[in-house]
Amino acid sequence: MIRAYHIISIILFFPILLVQTTVIPLLVIDTVLPDLILILLVYYSITQGQIYGSVLGFVYGFLIDIITGTTLGSAMIAKTLAGFTAGYFSSENKKDQYLISYNFALIVLVSSLIDSTINAFFSSVNFTANIFMLFFQFALLPAIYTASLALLGMIFYPKRRAF
Amino acid sequence: MIRFFLSLWENFKEYIVLVVLLIASLFLLSQNNTAGIQRVRTIAFGTFASITSVFSDMFSVGSLKKENEELRRTNAEMMLQLSRLREYGITNADLKGLLALKDSSKFPLIPATIVSKSLSKSQGTVTINAGSNQGVKIGMPIISDKGLAGIVYSVANNYSIARTLNNVDLKITVKSERTRENAVLKWNGDWLVMINVPKTFDLRKGDRIVSSEISSIIPFPLPVGVVYEIGNVQQGIFNEVKIQPFVDFQKVENLFILGIVKSKEIDNIELNFLKRQ
Repeated sequence: MIRAYHIISIILFFPILLVQTTVIPLLVIDTVLPDLILILLVYYSITQGQIYGSVLGFVYGFLIDIITGTTLGSAMIAKTLAGFTAGYFSSENKKDQYLISYNFALIVLVSSLIDSTINAFFSSVNFTANIFMLFFQFALLPAIYTASLALLGMIFYPKRRAF
Repeated sequence: MIRFFLSLWENFKEYIVLVVLLIASLFLLSQNNTAGIQRVRTIAFGTFASITSVFSDMFSVGSLKKENEELRRTNAEMMLQLSRLREYGITNADLKGLLALKDSSKFPLIPATIVSKSLSKSQGTVTINAGSNQGVKIGMPIISDKGLAGIVYSVANNYSIARTLNNVDLKITVKSERTRENAVLKWNGDWLVMINVPKTFDLRKGDRIVSSEISSIIPFPLPVGVVYEIGNVQQGIFNEVKIQPFVDFQKVENLFILGIVKSKEIDNIELNFLKRQ
């Protein structure tokens, strides 16, 4: 059954991708870019569960590959696994705790690490070079940047009231 | 049996969904270049780019845009002219009096602005606001006022996607302007490198690298970059030469599409030759 949040999560993707492809390149720090789509994906994975996170990651990945011209399938696998990982933190009891605390940024960091590592792998990067340097440059730095942005987003997230 | 599958689904549904999605992704990975996928891609990015272009225009100063475009066009034409003249100079020195080289005609330049850039660091692509309606075709080189920027990869009516030099899937043949030695240039995810360069090649730091005539994509030498470092000298029989590109892909906004597809030109010439037989 299709629910409102299913449609909203897909509709939200397009303005976020618009910002990602036009505004975010202006925030580049030595070729390292944050990934807003991933933040959105992590949010939905935590609130709606692991299966929903995996499927949404699959759909987001497909749309990214189709629209930006990257190898079809690479972002799909990366985002599916990122959504699946973020979904591990989906729990009815702890949902709000994950969303309004610094834990959200940590979950984004873990998911982003998986997303960036798989993307780098599918981009057939030269692995004869120092693997740790490549991991640092391709996965860790974008993940930290994305998590930092998620941390900023926490400021604007409405805190739960006592009653 | 049904009960077994139901309990399997109940206990492992997250993993089953994940495996199914991964298999579907891997299947699509193998279908990348099929006509159906290309058609879907053309419609999707064409539609999205038309919205993006409106958005990206808000970031540019409208009154200066046209003047800037004109100046860049002049600059790009002068860069092409200079590149051709350099070539003529070197060729003339070698073949003076032996060959009568025909004057090449002026190549058409199609102006375009980048409306969006890709998310991926290793699969650099840009979406530009010129498509088949403006005469853009797959395989056409894109240039900035500094030099070669990439190759058109997919074309919609008013928009195109181009692979930049920072894309691991783009490989072009280049040569040293000074020594005339050819090699394959590719993006290794970190640097632009000329791969499998024999140690006998006399390349030096600072040598200008241009696209080679033997490239099946680019019709005449276009500036690509300069030699930054020659690696792997001590071991193996080949060097890997790092190239510093002339085009800064983070800052570039306006581009030109060189309105020519070399392989099609060659096809046409060969076809005409066959017709005359």
